[in-house]
Amino acid sequence: MEHQLTYSTSFEENKKAHEPLLWIGLVSIIMFFAGLTSAVIVSSTSATWQLFSLPSSFLNSSIAIVLSSVTYQAGYVFLKKQQQSIAILLFAITLTLSLLFVYFQYAGLSNLYQQGIFATGSQSTTSSSYFYILTVLHIAHLFFGLISLLYVSIKTMLNKYNNNNYLGVKISLTYWHFLGILWVYLYVFLSVMMSK
Amino acid sequence: MDLTHSSHTHKESFITKYIFSTDHKMIAKQFMITGFTMGFIGIIMSVLFRLQLGWPGEKFLINELLLGSWANGGVIAPDKYLALVTMHGTIMVFFMLTAGLSGTFSNLLIPLQIGARDMASGFMNMLSYWIFFVSCIVMLVSLGVEGGAASAGWTIYPPLSALPEAIPGSGLGMTLWLISMALFITSSLIGSLNYIVTIINLRTKGMTFSRLPLTIWSFLVTAILGVLSFPVLLSAVLLLVFDRSFGTSFYLSDIFIGGQALERFGGSPILFEHLFWFLGHPEVYIVLLPSLGITSEIVSTMSRKPIFGYKFMVGSILAIGGLSFIVWGHHMFVTGMNPFLGAVFTITTLLIAIPSAIKVFNYLTTLWRGNIIFSPAMLFSIGLISTFITGGLTGLILGDATLDINVHDTYFVVGHFHIVMGLSAVFGTFAGVYHWFPKMFGKMMNNTWGQVHFWITIVTAYGVFFPMHFLGLAGVPRRYYTNSSFPMFDDFINLNEIISIFAILAFLGQLIFLFNFLYSIYKGKKASQNPWNSNTLEWTTPVEHIHGNWPNDIPEVHRWPYDYNKPGYEEFIPQNVPLKKGETDSGAH
Ligand code: HEM
Ligand SMILES: [Cu+2]
Repeated sequence: MEHQLTYSTSFEENKKAHEPLLWIGLVSIIMFFAGLTSAVIVSSTSATWQLFSLPSSFLNSSIAIVLSSVTYQAGYVFLKKQQQSIAILLFAITLTLSLLFVYFQYAGLSNLYQQGIFATGSQSTTSSSYFYILTVLHIAHLFFGLISLLYVSIKTMLNKYNNNNYLGVKISLTYWHFLGILWVYLYVFLSVMMSK
Repeated sequence: MDLTHSSHTHKESFITKYIFSTDHKMIAKQFMITGFTMGFIGIIMSVLFRLQLGWPGEKFLINELLLGSWANGGVIAPDKYLALVTMHGTIMVFFMLTAGLSGTFSNLLIPLQIGARDMASGFMNMLSYWIFFVSCIVMLVSLGVEGGAASAGWTIYPPLSALPEAIPGSGLGMTLWLISMALFITSSLIGSLNYIVTIINLRTKGMTFSRLPLTIWSFLVTAILGVLSFPVLLSAVLLLVFDRSFGTSFYLSDIFIGGQALERFGGSPILFEHLFWFLGHPEVYIVLLPSLGITSEIVSTMSRKPIFGYKFMVGSILAIGGLSFIVWGHHMFVTGMNPFLGAVFTITTLLIAIPSAIKVFNYLTTLWRGNIIFSPAMLFSIGLISTFITGGLTGLILGDATLDINVHDTYFVVGHFHIVMGLSAVFGTFAGVYHWFPKMFGKMMNNTWGQVHFWITIVTAYGVFFPMHFLGLAGVPRRYYTNSSFPMFDDFINLNEIISIFAILAFLGQLIFLFNFLYSIYKGKKASQNPWNSNTLEWTTPVEHIHGNWPNDIPEVHRWPYDYNKPGYEEFIPQNVPLKKGETDSGAH
């Protein structure tokens, strides 16, 4: 069957809903981590809750992710000024910093592992299990951020962004800042709850 | 307004039209068919285990026929009884009354009533349905695995859910339950995101928040509750999966199996209860609120009167939604909770009585001296008002820590939540189906059979659940296979028989609905465009469904949706009719 439609509110206009979609999605991610960190608080009241010292690697990673937020934002600013090449450079730095972040997270966890602080198994404790799980879950969310960063970088290289068409970048950027804030929160929270 | 007039021809294949459709009206039907099918399976389960409760140990051919090895010789095996109860609860609460109900009516009505071409993201909407569909399949498959389906109750408390070796249903059945629910949560989150964004961003010109039909308000708050609470259930499920499969001990401590201490310590099953009920209580409102919205709309239309206290109705939906996040402890009064904390949860719980009572009074005031048309939809709406009152009253008892401790985990609780949540939500669903059937299928359902369906349902439903309160007061525990080893409950065997007879009759009554539904799709009377003389925008769309909903421009809205019998004006005035000279929008004050 065929229909002729004149759109006074076109389907295309649904695009304006993309940014709110992200924000509400972020709310549900926040609730997810709120559930988990509340669980940490409840579990920490147990008599068997164990403290350990956090490897300095996690401080390095925190610095890396905060810096990456700054460089991504700067790249966005230059992109809007139509200075593609500087933007691409900044996106590349962002990418490097985020890979550095992942590396430091990995180094930190393996350091814990070498100290005999395990994620699972009979020698693990609830505090160490939480620590591993929260760290890895954050990286899992970062993974999608990385994909969107790559996507934005490639589109920039192909010169696909012109005026008024930055929605995709803005969404990716907002998510990226969110990831940074989320990690800083987790880092501070876990330090307070778990470190000696 | 920015008018982007672009013509656009649309061709659809069978697959894009009926299967991977992105059209909200088709997705609504898909949710309805799937959700109701699950509901039908759930109700059959309840009838089967009611046979066991009414006539413990008696052989029934039907058990063997439908359950096979779960009921060798026609008697349900004790562990399979638990599996049935668990699956019944899970299916009813999540699959039928969350996905089935919200999925159907939010999808159907949000774009139509706010004046939008479709959902914000048709693709996400389709994704939401298909993930739901897969989660249904996984849940049904779990019925057939070795050891049987999950048996730890719909609340899946650890350690039964955390240790695969705990009971037969704790093995693969439980694993599939968790996979299915993870999918379900994903589907529900995607759906809710879409509903919220659509309502906020895609309202037509003039459709201010104070002109939104109450249905839309209730769908909005329902979706918000989902976005805030389902992720917390996901976090609980995740930790549970780690405990089950990867050797952590978030929920485990001091467990002995065959006298042997398990090498798990430091965790607590109470933690799971906190996380579960942080979702669980909002969940009961996720189930209930859409029905409150649907019936508000119907009560006003069928009384031919404006809804009484529109702003209070909206306010109380918001208040109920907000309060529902700070009352979860009322499910945990007997977990050894600090009595002070218990008192706090008692107070927050009893506070919900205020917005609930406001809603009841507004319903009744709307009915008062109205020109009531007793259509099946209206009857079920009035039925909801009744169950909302009778179930709400026992909620006051359960919400009070000192009283709840006496009846916790008895049939009193089963009676309470079936009436206030189960029946209210089911009545709202039926009301919605009867009312919007013409919109969905372009046909009318048979009125007489609708009336018969209603009267059988309300009588048998009370017949099932009202006596349960007495069982509970006498101490009869819930989730028990049989009480025959407790002589003090011998007096109640007759009552249990009566309940079971009512349950069978209730089930048979639903066949009338099923028949009427299917028959009307094919042979029903053709519907006119606005069969109930209603004001909301969905009745301005053509009877035959078209992609994009309105053949021409989307109507503009000039007034609130409840202009029925406005003094000095027409009997009803649809929302898209401009205000006359000197007329004020009745909703504006
Ligand atoms: C003909 C209709 C129904 C009958 C006869 C029925 C009967 C029952 C019975 C006897 C139980 C077992 C109680 C126990 O042993 O603890 C039960 C449990 C339950 N029912 Fe229904 N029910 C019906 C419809 C519904 C509906 C519409 C809902 C939706 C809210 C629902 C939700 C539940 C839940 C959540 C449980 C608890 C499962 C558990 O203990 O884990 N039921 N039902
Ligand atoms: Cu509750």
